[in-house]
Amino acid sequence: MTDAMLLHINGQKWSVPLDGPLTLLDALREHLGLVGTKKGCDQGACGACTVLVDGQRVLSCLMLVAQCEGREVTTIEGLSQGGRLHPVQQAFVRHDAFQCGYCTAGQIMSAVALLAEGRASSDDEIREFMSGNLCRCGAYPNIVAAIRELAAAEGR
Amino acid sequence: MTRTLVGDPVDRVDGPLKVTGTAPYPSDVTRPGMAHAALVQSTIAAGTITRLDTLKADAADGVLAVISHRNAPALAPGPRMEFGPSLRFPLKDDRVLHVGQHLAIVVAETAEQARAAARLVEVEYAPTAPILAIDDPRAPVVRNLWGLEMQRGDVAAALAAAEIVYDETFTIAPETNNPLGLFATVAEWDGARLTVHDSTQWPMLVRMTLATMFGIPERDVRVRVPYLGGGFGAGLRVWPHTVLAALAARVVARPVKLVLTRPQMFWSTGHRPETVQRLRLGAARDGRLVALDHEATSTVPLEDENLYPIILGSVDFYACESLATHDRQVRLNIPPPSWMRGPGSAEANFAIESALDELSYRLRMDPIDLRLRNYAEVQPRSGLPWSSKALRDCYRVGAERFGWRARTPAIGSMRDGNWLIGYGMAGLTYEWYMPPCQVNITLRRDGSAWLRSAATDIGTGTYTIATQLGAELLGLDLRDVHVEIGDSDLPPAPQSGGSGLAGSLGAAIHDGAGKLLRSLVMLVAEDQRSPLHGRRSDEVAVSDGRIYLKDDRSIGEAYVDVLARHELAELSALGECRARPEGTGMAPSGAHGAQFVEVHIDKDLGLVRIARVVSAIDGGRVLNEKTARSQIMGGAVMAIGMTLLEETSFDRGTGRIANATFADYLIPVNADVPELDVVFVGEPDRFNPTGAKGLGEVGLVGVAAAIANAIYHATGRRIRSLPITLDKLL
Amino acid sequence: MPAFEYVRAADVAGAVAMATADPGASYLAGGTTLVDLMLKDGVVAPATVIDVGRLPLRGIRLVGDALRVGAMTTMEELAADPTVASRVPFVREALLLSASTQLRNMARIGGNLLQRTRCRYFRDATVAQCNKRIPGSGCGAVAGVARMHAILGASEHCIAVHASDLCVPLVAVDAVVHIQGRSGARSVALTDLHVPPRDRPDIEHVLEHGELITHVDVPLLPVGARSTYLKVRDRASYEFALTSAAAALVMRGAVMTHVRLGLGGVATLPWRARAAEAVLEGARADRHTFRAAADAELAAPYTVDGTRFKVELAKRTIVRALETVTGVSS
Repeated sequence: MTDAMLLHINGQKWSVPLDGPLTLLDALREHLGLVGTKKGCDQGACGACTVLVDGQRVLSCLMLVAQCEGREVTTIEGLSQGGRLHPVQQAFVRHDAFQCGYCTAGQIMSAVALLAEGRASSDDEIREFMSGNLCRCGAYPNIVAAIRELAAAEGR
Repeated sequence: MTRTLVGDPVDRVDGPLKVTGTAPYPSDVTRPGMAHAALVQSTIAAGTITRLDTLKADAADGVLAVISHRNAPALAPGPRMEFGPSLRFPLKDDRVLHVGQHLAIVVAETAEQARAAARLVEVEYAPTAPILAIDDPRAPVVRNLWGLEMQRGDVAAALAAAEIVYDETFTIAPETNNPLGLFATVAEWDGARLTVHDSTQWPMLVRMTLATMFGIPERDVRVRVPYLGGGFGAGLRVWPHTVLAALAARVVARPVKLVLTRPQMFWSTGHRPETVQRLRLGAARDGRLVALDHEATSTVPLEDENLYPIILGSVDFYACESLATHDRQVRLNIPPPSWMRGPGSAEANFAIESALDELSYRLRMDPIDLRLRNYAEVQPRSGLPWSSKALRDCYRVGAERFGWRARTPAIGSMRDGNWLIGYGMAGLTYEWYMPPCQVNITLRRDGSAWLRSAATDIGTGTYTIATQLGAELLGLDLRDVHVEIGDSDLPPAPQSGGSGLAGSLGAAIHDGAGKLLRSLVMLVAEDQRSPLHGRRSDEVAVSDGRIYLKDDRSIGEAYVDVLARHELAELSALGECRARPEGTGMAPSGAHGAQFVEVHIDKDLGLVRIARVVSAIDGGRVLNEKTARSQIMGGAVMAIGMTLLEETSFDRGTGRIANATFADYLIPVNADVPELDVVFVGEPDRFNPTGAKGLGEVGLVGVAAAIANAIYHATGRRIRSLPITLDKLL
Repeated sequence: MPAFEYVRAADVAGAVAMATADPGASYLAGGTTLVDLMLKDGVVAPATVIDVGRLPLRGIRLVGDALRVGAMTTMEELAADPTVASRVPFVREALLLSASTQLRNMARIGGNLLQRTRCRYFRDATVAQCNKRIPGSGCGAVAGVARMHAILGASEHCIAVHASDLCVPLVAVDAVVHIQGRSGARSVALTDLHVPPRDRPDIEHVLEHGELITHVDVPLLPVGARSTYLKVRDRASYEFALTSAAAALVMRGAVMTHVRLGLGGVATLPWRARAAEAVLEGARADRHTFRAAADAELAAPYTVDGTRFKVELAKRTIVRALETVTGVSS
């Protein structure tokens, strides 16, 4: 095991100390101060820790940092550019697609990927392919509404 | 022109923080020099610890302390509250009272080291036979501990004489609140002063409890929770892990952070207790209820108490002359249950609204007509008119939006291929709750206003409705009003619980804004330099940051000018809510509602899918249409889980929770939830100065019965136990 | 998490040599089983983790009548393959009904086949009775909360379910697993890869320590075949199966031929329903026959209190799957 690993996160290089096994989620939250990605279960069952790796949505709580070497990681912090909210973030605010906000970063990263995957052609499709992101506050209908609007705007 | 802000679907003011991941939750907090903690928990439900060996743990990498009953500093017992005592301090002695009881807290430099060391603590027990089942004859039973039982009329005689008698038992499995946000405490001592960032819905309670247990003045304890990753009742008690984190911080003389794991969220932050209700009804052939006997049993741990008001749910719901309620609590070797959304009310409603549905079939009456037949025009308990009650509108509007008329009452008469279709409905009335609350309202020289209170926003929208109220009452732009909450140093506020906060805080803001404006008027009235010199409060109005004559808007001045001229940095007032219903001639009312559900049931596989929900709610004046809708929808989603999916499964022999993960304990996912239609009806409430009624819990109440009633309509199966899983329908 | 050494394998031969030489080594593919079990549940603690995720074992190509699927292909990649969609559609259905997109982007085919059970008596190290973790200690699930447990291939020694959806259509089509070991390559029918627990639930498959699955050959269904994967579960998505069935056949008029049937959610290993197939093959497609096939397959289940309901549910699942794939409804 090397002493540190270089990760590509949100377009920048970050050095993560490695004195033992480390998940990507813990690296983000405990070592890099990127606490926007949340830990809801740490067992791959809730989706709150969803980030993008090479543009694909994954669960950072089940990925070892070592598996991310040389790959591009995008977190919620990397979504808004220069203080402007990303269209997905704006749509979530407009549609009240969150309440407590804890699952929201994961929902948003998942939604970004969902739209890129082309899986927002119907409400049922959105519901099914967003089911990997739990929301205990029950904001699901508004999450669907936000994504529906985004898909329409993209002409999908 | 007055611009109404209250009621408008204003976007949440904390929205940008939440969608960018920058809202700080307790588990996000870091402090300089912070150490990390992990817990050791018991694996048996009853007995004593015979050996607790921390040698290996003490010697592990990075470990700063291992605290158990053997070396824990003594703490005073926590205070007793009206809802119950503080929880037993788990390190008090060598006794084990439930699986998951905290036996030690390990502190280390990193979270990983703390967890690794916790695994090295060796524990041996002398187990005794645990008492785990609600019907175990050995379990001690507590009767009417809270004095909730009520009698009116003569239930025995009325039941004996009734034309129709109904007698059924309803059981509801335990469930776990499971907010997504893992509960966390970051505790830090500065001399004898303690600051905790804590996952709580009630900062003032945490402050009082910690102050009492550590023997320090309350003013030396500060509890901070600007954001919480959901609560649903889990944050309404001061859990042992919070106390342990504070204790650990004192022992190692460094800030200590403890983040619970998801399995620990099942053990250590309460749950909805298992309940059994026996409901006996007597009715006349025209559907009028003549007798109601409601016996409820819930669970409590061996050495704890929990006010669990199931039987209050039947007292004022319908007009029924003879009524008797019985409250039983069974002591078991279980982790302490607490409250979960609509505690008591959700359970009582499931029983009563299922029962009325059953009666409606027996009497061949439309279920809504049966409710209307028993409509409580005045509060049954007091005979006083309600401060507001638009329940009839809830039934009417809800039925219309749902298309209730399309229902063919015959069982199984509605189908679509392999799917049986059922329509079900339920009514609900929620308890009024309006605890005392204070808010400081300050107008600053720059024209901004600050509202400060120790209230919390647990996803309910407190930040936003407070901003709207402040803006409307003070005549300011939304962006000039700032709300600070989640801090026990701020003026005291009640919990986010019992659906009381919006009403209490709103009333306090109303009071404070009024006081602030009156003092502003006093300033200008006595000031010869002011165009409003000599004017009275009732002659002026406010908007756009100006105070002016109602009759002539041009005569007035901007707040900033008044403050500047008087050389004031700011103007403040303390708003208070101290609700006093006595002598008002009305019974203050909580929200009312009607829930309508369409279910689809696979005729062979028993799969239950919710096709539609319509919730018609009388919440008085709705403070924010967007966030209010979200609260109701969120309640409906949680109710889908309660009704069809959720059960905290305890191993019969050991008391272990067998499904303490998000993969095994099933909460609704996006695909479980259809379009949820929410409509608000009614008038502003007459008792609350803002006209609002609490909405945090009503969205959940009634949905379970509506679903169960719809399942009956589709299948002819009357299921009186929750969750209604498909194996019950095969 | 317990400490381990992380090594990335440069090639298949190197990986196999390293693993074979080290009894404390485990392969890491996507991590959705290993990281979970190892780091979160603390049930396994390999001293060395050999990351094989970047080995050139990824990709799908047609080889004769079968799709050769590299073991490091992700579930999402396999689900997106056009030949899978057109020639073994129930494989695609099973994949898309599994887990979540996030997990399918991470999980690899090889790992999916070898996934460990979800049983909470196995995955909770505080449970003393688990023959899979501690041979001879008993089975805590038998008298416990057993809703998600097995009724086929089960006994009082173990009722833990093999939870893979993908394996269900794969056993139905007689997929073949290709393995690289220290002494060379071999292949094993998927139906022979897993072994029932019997009295040694700790032995789950026939792989020797150090053997690595390199690819899986998935025979295509005959042209004109119809297939379906039916997954029955409490919530509408993101849950393991209570029961599931993968059915494929070719209709010749009203007669069923080339019948393939696999069951999931009900067995300790991916279950090929041969008794049911024997009833169905060459028979007329009607509900009576479907039910007879289901009765035959579920003739001797092992049930405990918590799983009793599954017998009837499994039968109805088989019937419904057959109704769907034949177009014959009740």
